[in-house]
Amino acid sequence: MSAGQASDPASGSSPAWEGASQVDAVLEQVRAQLDLDAEMEHDLLAELQGHLEDAVAAARARGLDEERALAEAAACFGVEEVGRELQAAHVGWGTADGVVAAGLPVLCALILRWLVFAPDGTVVGWREVLMRPAFWVVALAALLVPLLRFPRWRYALVSWAFFWAMSVIFFAWPAVQW
Amino acid sequence: MASQIDQMRKGTTTVAILKLLVDEDEPLHGYEIIRRLDARGEGYFHFKEGLIYPRLHRMEQDGLLESRWVGEPGTRRRKMYTLTEKGRQQLEVEMRRWQTFSRQMDQLLGLEGA
Repeated sequence: MSAGQASDPASGSSPAWEGASQVDAVLEQVRAQLDLDAEMEHDLLAELQGHLEDAVAAARARGLDEERALAEAAACFGVEEVGRELQAAHVGWGTADGVVAAGLPVLCALILRWLVFAPDGTVVGWREVLMRPAFWVVALAALLVPLLRFPRWRYALVSWAFFWAMSVIFFAWPAVQW
Repeated sequence: MASQIDQMRKGTTTVAILKLLVDEDEPLHGYEIIRRLDARGEGYFHFKEGLIYPRLHRMEQDGLLESRWVGEPGTRRRKMYTLTEKGRQQLEVEMRRWQTFSRQMDQLLGLEGA
């Protein structure tokens, strides 16, 4: 994520604010210390952006001009230390999340395969599968576990889409050996 | 001397945040937490403002806090922190620990009743 994205309306900030570009420059220094997934970095920088905007606004309310207000906010903030500490705080969690995120769809696919195929290897059929509570439990797990565990809605949607894609593939090409 | 105070502050920031959130009894965002901690400490404890965020995030990972984003798209969004039940329990433990430490230090330094 670039500093410019930090003031994107999609991030929920106030892009019309005149000091936004200077704040983005400070955020870019923090971002340079980070090596996390894009969504995590986006969230972290959005939070820091709100802080810096508040700090600059408070300094300006005390009578400082724009440049001095930003300099003061940046000095109190501790840019490089914050980046290092945030990276240290989140890097291990990002790895754990990645392992879970990668493993969950695979686990769901294995359970799905067990549900879709009868013991003799024939496909039981859509109607019968959709009537099985276990199918819906797995389907909901593929959606809700990533959403509640991380929480990352993009992971959840990808996991959900993967599950349904695997369902369709199992039914469309039952002869394929998995 | 400043570094000694820094070390003491680092060791007590978690309990200070927990106590603040209990006392204020409302969700607070990071900037507001710093502002109120600074007011409580009357400026004695100099908080490097940005460093509150790694601490808040670690506390959230430890289950002491939970957070949620507040604000509509197109407006300024804020990440608000609230205390969890585990955080309340941790605060009780930390407060007892701190009281014992403080009492023992006073006794050690002959400051008891001073």
